[in-house]
Amino acid sequence: MKHNLLIVVMFIFSTYHAQSCKYTFIGEVTDFHDGSPMSGATVHIESLNRYTTADINGKFSIKNLCNGKLILVISHVGCETNRIEIDIIGDTFKKIDMEHHLEELDEVSLRNKGTKTTKTAQETVIKDDVLERYSSLSLGDALKEVPGVSSINTGNTIVKPMINGLHSSRILILNNSVRLQDQEWGIEHAPNIDINSANQISVIKGAGALAYGGDAIGGVVVIKPSKIVQKDTLFGRTILGAQTNGRGYNISSTLNKNYSSGWFTQLQGSYRKNGDFHAPDYNLTNTGLDSKGFSARFGKTAFQSGFEAYYSYLNNEIGILSASHIGSVFDLKRAINTGQPTVIKDFSYDINAPKQDITHHLAKASYYKRFSNFGKVTFQYDYQNNRRLEFDVRIGDRKNTPAIDLTLQTHTILADLNLDANLNRKFNFGIMGRYQDNFANPDTGVRRLIPDYDKYDFGVYTTTEWRIKNDLVVDTGIRYDFNRIDAKKYYRKSRWEERGYDDDFSDIIIEELPTQYLTNPIFDYHNLSASVGAKFYLNDKSYVIGNYALSSRPPNPSELFSDGLHHSAARFELGDLRFDKEVSNRVSASYNYNTPKFNLSAEIFYNKIEDFIYLIPFDFISTIRGPFPFWEYQQANTELYGIDINATYNLTNNWQLQNRTSFIRGYDLENHIPLIEMPPFNTMNQVTYKNTTWHNFSASLKSEWVSEQNEYPDFNFEVTDQLTGEKCEIDISTPPPAYHLLHFYSEATFNLSEKTSLNVSFGINNLLDTSYRNYLNQLRYFADDLGRNVTLQIQLNY
Amino acid sequence: MKINYSNSNLMKTTKFFLGVFFCLTLITSCSDDDTPPPVLEEELITNVTLTFTNDADATDVVVMGSVAPDGQDGASTEVITGSFTANATYSLNLAITNASETPPEDVLNDDIIPEGDEHFFVYAVNGINLTMSRDSDDEDGADGNKLGVKTTWVAGAAGTGNVQITLVHEPEGADDSDEWGSVTGGSEDLNITFTGAEIQ
Repeated sequence: MKHNLLIVVMFIFSTYHAQSCKYTFIGEVTDFHDGSPMSGATVHIESLNRYTTADINGKFSIKNLCNGKLILVISHVGCETNRIEIDIIGDTFKKIDMEHHLEELDEVSLRNKGTKTTKTAQETVIKDDVLERYSSLSLGDALKEVPGVSSINTGNTIVKPMINGLHSSRILILNNSVRLQDQEWGIEHAPNIDINSANQISVIKGAGALAYGGDAIGGVVVIKPSKIVQKDTLFGRTILGAQTNGRGYNISSTLNKNYSSGWFTQLQGSYRKNGDFHAPDYNLTNTGLDSKGFSARFGKTAFQSGFEAYYSYLNNEIGILSASHIGSVFDLKRAINTGQPTVIKDFSYDINAPKQDITHHLAKASYYKRFSNFGKVTFQYDYQNNRRLEFDVRIGDRKNTPAIDLTLQTHTILADLNLDANLNRKFNFGIMGRYQDNFANPDTGVRRLIPDYDKYDFGVYTTTEWRIKNDLVVDTGIRYDFNRIDAKKYYRKSRWEERGYDDDFSDIIIEELPTQYLTNPIFDYHNLSASVGAKFYLNDKSYVIGNYALSSRPPNPSELFSDGLHHSAARFELGDLRFDKEVSNRVSASYNYNTPKFNLSAEIFYNKIEDFIYLIPFDFISTIRGPFPFWEYQQANTELYGIDINATYNLTNNWQLQNRTSFIRGYDLENHIPLIEMPPFNTMNQVTYKNTTWHNFSASLKSEWVSEQNEYPDFNFEVTDQLTGEKCEIDISTPPPAYHLLHFYSEATFNLSEKTSLNVSFGINNLLDTSYRNYLNQLRYFADDLGRNVTLQIQLNY
Repeated sequence: MKINYSNSNLMKTTKFFLGVFFCLTLITSCSDDDTPPPVLEEELITNVTLTFTNDADATDVVVMGSVAPDGQDGASTEVITGSFTANATYSLNLAITNASETPPEDVLNDDIIPEGDEHFFVYAVNGINLTMSRDSDDEDGADGNKLGVKTTWVAGAAGTGNVQITLVHEPEGADDSDEWGSVTGGSEDLNITFTGAEIQ
């Protein structure tokens, strides 16, 4: 309306003064982010078809103008061309902002370029062309593309990423800048991410990225949706896939509509399903999966300001191997001794108990504004709702009642200020507030695994990045986090006394019942984290990175409050209210060498963790289901160290060799034992044939060697068969033997028209149908891992 | 000039967001003071009692009792009172209850017997001269077998040994042909051994 009025006024003005064409326009072209003059900018006066150039002060003038509209197109090397309309009313002056450093300001990244989030951390980027191959799999599977990243599995669909031997609460996952809050403390709780919504994933080892959190002792996984291009375009992608093992199928579609004005909208949906998987020798009964995902984004993006609203929904219904439901240590012993699952049925898509049904909603709104000669301010609010239902094998009417029913709601607000006016001295400040509420539904008829709690987090951080010289970048950061957990938990009196809480925590009892106490533990934690790193270019082919990170992580609800039976492991797990935070000091160094023919990346690290919290067996209890081992969380000083190597060598234009190797060791320095569940030495070798002239055809053969883990703690235990008095050892510790797998993968892309292309890929996993068990699979006691899987995927880009 | 403008704008926005945050914290902390109710535990078994009564003499009773106040997840204590008389025949009366509720919940009759096709009792002895058989009017159990709720026990020569009762849920296969019973697969809901049973 205002604008229309202005035009009318302008029109009146211009008609009155139409005859006198003697005015001068003076323009000043400046670089937006730091206000410096842009000398040499080309100015095309479109309406007059004249050209001029900005002088050394960024100024230019156009004489003998009439009142009215003037259209200027200003261009400068390395800038986005700026087309503006100017209303001439007499002699006119206007400052024209250009942005010369879009790339340095992280505003522009060309497709597939794989921009890193950090400068001096050990970061690896997985791009969309690789992610698309994992359309039918999970995040944890895709991340294994990064050397040093493995996964801790419960079966084949619950896959948790593990970075340099650490997982769960020690890894932060960011989905479109929202820190995922999905009860990640549980080893059988897979991250609630639909891999099809990701366009790029960065894996940052260690706690180098302080803006995301100070407790990333293991690392950070940053999942980004596609960047918005500022032009009028409509494009999309549809993937259809089928797999023989588990008779799985998946479909995923993404549609983007962008406008040159910066408005954008994106819709994405995916569905995947599989029935019972099979190992080479038998079916893995009740290992089906049903997964539905949907996400929508819209907003406006421009250099100076923009906003985004984002919503994503994911529902996973996951069957857990029937044979893993056991009642006693004798069941576990039988499972280990028989060497194959006790329940083997014909193939089915049915998902029965034990199973998980998890729904995750994520909603986010963010806004940013960039101020000239200053920097960028970002605000973000996000809300997450995570509902976890776990169905156990139960009797009677309770069959359809979950044994675990938890709802976790999280609100977070975030403000971030990025001062980048001086590209050689960037500063970043941020402040974060979070409120979380966990509700454990009492209608399950099973004691709460995790109590009701409220959690408050507050964090402030500052990071800075200095380009000292052209070949040397230094960055440093510091962060403080405050966490308060306020829980209401029922303790059985027997447990309360066994834990010795009657001495230390008698003041937190708020109600006494016949057999239990209701308690109100409130704990505060203060965490300091810091990092410093440097990146130095040795020459134009290679650089080295050194980084030190201090991080601390408060104990999670499971470590504090666990108090119950872990079914598939046939053990009791007990937390401890006395825990303090764990503190990690990690030093790392990397060497990178890049030439068109040969690429090498070698990363080493040493991570000393004080008061590392982990489960150790400590006692036995005689129950009406026989004797049961007790495991309790303990804190111990530990160290982890390792090396990860990735090398590619192009033999010819068509043939490429690749090697990916990682080696890690972890020790408990107090009990002088190796840490449990450390990834064994593994090496992957791949030979690839590529021919761009044959529809971008490529075929590769991959060899995956995983050795036996020789460094493991011996947590085997002896149980006495009370009937006969015989003692028998239950071997839960010995890792499975080494294995070697071969995988084949090939793909080709056919251009159907100028804008549409069809990509067809065909693969065979576990080509030789090798039987093996994986040390990092929690269900390895009960069944072999997956047999051969033939996959076909069709992807249409339009 | 411009910087001033931007700063004041920034301040406004910051204030707004901080305000939102504090309101959020206040609202949620006020509304969330309710106390969670205790969970009424289902499927809890606290007491398992085997009462053997001499068919010829109702006063000759052997009671094997297992008490686990916290149910399956807690410690249990086993006690035997009385001793078997050599060469006598006993009927076993089984009771499985949840005494944490008042009145105690009869788990055997309310849950296990109605779902007999998913359950199976297995008995075993060691070092004691006891034999057992499943009665013809025993309840139906898994795989068309007799469940093992109604059984008859015969004491042989004097001696001491152990008696075990196991309840298996959803066994893959069950077999009562040797009377004691055997299973493959499934999970053990109960596995209790009474040590030091005596035949005099």
